[in-house]
Amino acid sequence: MNGIFEVNFAAFSVFAALLITEIMGAVVLLIAWPARAKVLDYLVPVWEVTGTFGAFWVVTGDFAYPALLVPVASLFAPLLVVFVMLWVARSAAISFAEFIAKRGWLDEGKLYRAYALSTIVIGVVVLVLLSSLVGGQGVDLATGSFSLASWATAGSMAFILGTLLLGVGFAPVFFDLPSLKGYVLPLAGGGVVLSVFSYWLMSSALVTWWMSVPVLLTLLAGVLYLWPKTARVVTNKGVFLAVLCVIIFSLQFLVYPAAVGQALNIDAVTTTGAMADAFTSVTVVGASLLAVMLILYVRIASKGPSGPDFP
Amino acid sequence: MLSFVRFLFAFTIGSHILLVCTSIALVVLISVAEFISIRKHDQVYEALARRLAKVFVISFAVGTASGIVMAVELVGLFPSFMTLVASTGAIVLLYAEVSAFFLEVLALVLYVYYWNAFKGRYTHWILSIFMATGTLGSAVFITMVNAWMNTPAGFDISGFVSSGFTTVSGVQPYAAFLTASTADQVFHVLVTTIFAGSMVIGAYFAFWFIRSRDAEDRAMYSRALKILGAIAVITIIVSGLTGSKEMGTLLVNQPLKYAALDGNPVNGTNFPDRFFGTVVGNSYVGGFSIPGMQSFLAQFETGIAQLPGLSQFPASDWPPLFVNLTFNLMTIGGVALGVFFLVYFLALVTRRRPYESRRVLYLWIPAAVVAIIVYQLGWATDEVGRQPWIVYNVMTVAQAANTSDALLVPGIIIVAFYLMVVPLTFYLYARVFRRKAEAMA
Repeated sequence: MNGIFEVNFAAFSVFAALLITEIMGAVVLLIAWPARAKVLDYLVPVWEVTGTFGAFWVVTGDFAYPALLVPVASLFAPLLVVFVMLWVARSAAISFAEFIAKRGWLDEGKLYRAYALSTIVIGVVVLVLLSSLVGGQGVDLATGSFSLASWATAGSMAFILGTLLLGVGFAPVFFDLPSLKGYVLPLAGGGVVLSVFSYWLMSSALVTWWMSVPVLLTLLAGVLYLWPKTARVVTNKGVFLAVLCVIIFSLQFLVYPAAVGQALNIDAVTTTGAMADAFTSVTVVGASLLAVMLILYVRIASKGPSGPDFP
Repeated sequence: MLSFVRFLFAFTIGSHILLVCTSIALVVLISVAEFISIRKHDQVYEALARRLAKVFVISFAVGTASGIVMAVELVGLFPSFMTLVASTGAIVLLYAEVSAFFLEVLALVLYVYYWNAFKGRYTHWILSIFMATGTLGSAVFITMVNAWMNTPAGFDISGFVSSGFTTVSGVQPYAAFLTASTADQVFHVLVTTIFAGSMVIGAYFAFWFIRSRDAEDRAMYSRALKILGAIAVITIIVSGLTGSKEMGTLLVNQPLKYAALDGNPVNGTNFPDRFFGTVVGNSYVGGFSIPGMQSFLAQFETGIAQLPGLSQFPASDWPPLFVNLTFNLMTIGGVALGVFFLVYFLALVTRRRPYESRRVLYLWIPAAVVAIIVYQLGWATDEVGRQPWIVYNVMTVAQAANTSDALLVPGIIIVAFYLMVVPLTFYLYARVFRRKAEAMA
């Protein structure tokens, strides 16, 4: 048990869960524009929080693994540049779209589609990065280099395709779009199969009995959407997000105790001594503050609808 | 390539600063406007706060995204420096900054998107305090990192240097929160940032107040200018005081930087304040000086009579001496702005409503340009004045930098990107704020 790793991975789980729900929303914005009201009602307050959790994950990562900071940044420099550019584009597009009045060629529809496209590509970039951190595809630790050509193995491709299928498959559940109900189980089921297969392709050691936890939770969420009574549970965004966080958190065995195709021992690179104590103290203070703000957020958000009535 | 690395980071941070200072001034203005709206039951102030809140969302989004660009850039451009940051208390400051972000973002979401869900108006206003605390907190923590770079503390410096930058030991994680320069630098940066941002936002309102014929719009612009004028008067006074205090801190902790900024060729006593000349050998040539002023201020701030000179230090450690010019321009620009707001203040106390005077507002617009130049010069002076060091007396920029040619293309893309994003963001601020006016026209 490595407490520092757990905190960092918990931060990642929340960030990834929020990003996945954003990707689901982006898919709906692109393929079912008339249903945008339901999507924007969720996205518009939440997209700002996603980035903050992303920053939280990165900073806790820098703090937790100082020796990895530079090697990881050098390894993935081109991917990080693409990610950063897309992130600015995505943030700018959605914040402008939110308040823009139609004038000339620039309108909210174009800006929301730009947001959707950049968010989906961000998702792909993150998946490329994660697949390398899990299976080590494309990574040469000896030379400190990353090759996209070497990365493009069957395992990596299946990993990306499987995750995207899961995202697309669960979009109707999360945004409660009954007209697309028929796609949920086939896509989600296909996503689960492809994802597990991808882990096996990356390394057979990754497929252990632990895998049954995320698999069962994922399938259960899909099945619950089939009946109206149980659908109410799974379309509750708080419940869905919480379950998604648990699913992602339960996948930690993919990178712990060893990551990058079992080549990197996490405990060996985790910070120790006074810095580890400081990590714990600041986490307790920061997490308490965050918990208070989140409780306040949930209380207020559950009282009234979002959507400002600006003069 | 080292020059390109320096240019790239200077350009990026210079652009980022423009977004940040408006963001910080915005959140202060929003909070004050809403407070007055509640106290005076004034709908125009409330409408002002609501419209500015929309602008703040854009400001937050682009500012945060730009901050992420900077974070990635720092790792790519200065890897050895970031490894040191991650191994010492400086990373604790960045962690604390993320906590401030959380406070800011969650308060922002509640403040903007659930405005009407609050029955108690003061409860809603308190959220603006949370929002401002988060925004200012982020600025404070990042400035603390900069202060730590100026006066590093909290690890075994000599052990780190003698190990060839490989071993960080004796770490005291919280020492980075209060180094020798932290308090003075943080205070000065905060007030000058609020001042510069207030000037920029005020210039926008001044322009539209002069141009608009719509009584409702003019009433809103006038109220905004009234608040911003008051903020500017207070912050320009405090900027002067904290700036002088910061020079005292510099004299004690970074005497070489002090000597370069003040253009002191040799050490001595009874020094004048020197302006617009150059250091040639052991003399300061050209320009003009105010006799005794430098020594008077130094004595007042620190009690130190013997002031340092460049000749006391190896020439290889000197920063570029044009910092004397940037420091002079900053000082004179700051004094000019101080005079402007002294006149403004006198007009205010004699009830002449300077925030509605066309003459004053015509002057406000160029004054805002001066304020931003002065603000940027302040940062340039601080950063260039620390050269050749990235962490003072520990690690030079050359030792910290990644000089790989591979940085050239992404670097040019980043420059092009900022050239597009910053003007577009300001254009959209204006467009979003005026949306109602357009709709009514």
